[in-house]
Amino acid sequence: MSEFNNRIAAQRHLLQLVNGKGWESEELFGLSRKAIERWTVANRIDPRSHIVELVEAASSKLFFLANKSQEQVSEEYKATASEIALIAKAIESEIRRCS
Amino acid sequence: MHIYAFGSICRGEIHPNSDVDLLVIGGGDVAQYDPDIYSIYTYLRIQELWGEGNPFAWHLSLESRLLFSSDDQDFLRSLGKPAPYSCCARDCEKFLSLFRHARASLTDSCASRVFDLSTIFLSIRNIATCFSLGVVKSPNFSRSSALLLEKNAVPLSVVGYQVLERARVLCTRGYGPKITDDEIDAALRELDAVYDWMSELVERAKRT
Repeated sequence: MSEFNNRIAAQRHLLQLVNGKGWESEELFGLSRKAIERWTVANRIDPRSHIVELVEAASSKLFFLANKSQEQVSEEYKATASEIALIAKAIESEIRRCS
Repeated sequence: MHIYAFGSICRGEIHPNSDVDLLVIGGGDVAQYDPDIYSIYTYLRIQELWGEGNPFAWHLSLESRLLFSSDDQDFLRSLGKPAPYSCCARDCEKFLSLFRHARASLTDSCASRVFDLSTIFLSIRNIATCFSLGVVKSPNFSRSSALLLEKNAVPLSVVGYQVLERARVLCTRGYGPKITDDEIDAALRELDAVYDWMSELVERAKRT
């Protein structure tokens, strides 16, 4: 699979981990800053909570996929797979702790 | 350092919900710009994209306007035309694969449905853009490129297309009404035809 498609798959995996909790009002739709803001407001989540910090960290690693649509046919950024995997593990344990 | 507007505003496609795509090109100091506002590139990377004939280079070449230049030069114009686009079949296959994975996820899991619909929108739009550039030779970088391919347009109802587009806006800009289960089911019913359409574009790209 291309790097681009791998990163989409990583984003999907993170969203499925976060949304595994079953939020009060709305799932997290994406990892853009605005989608994260909507999710925290809709579900009345403390924006300073650890889960929000982790989601924002994931967003910053994948920001170009979360926000941009025009240049996605280019393979732009160096692989950050190991960092993403660490964040995913932390999100998984945080969701388990909160559930 | 150079700043450009590109995309819909340069095509004259102005909608109340349109955002403005901004590109900043610079040297080593370019990382200080906000990635939520700008697409950020170094001069070197832009030159590489030009040399590869990447669709994004073609997009910038055809649909960008200089907003600021620190040296009174128009950097993108100085590069001339990008190299010919030669990876159309590979890129179309990539977006078909993206579509396939998103559709499988939609049927396997309920935890990322809006994201999966958004990814399907992205795959449809990008395969159409690549096809228009690489096969039809009439590049279309619009958000609606898949609907504007005339006889090659995506076989998707207007309502189905709008559901996918709304999903994209929810994922990227975080606004708009939620997508209902009925809307998701209706969109899902149209995806077999979309898959066949994408497969056909891939085959035609391979023959070109």
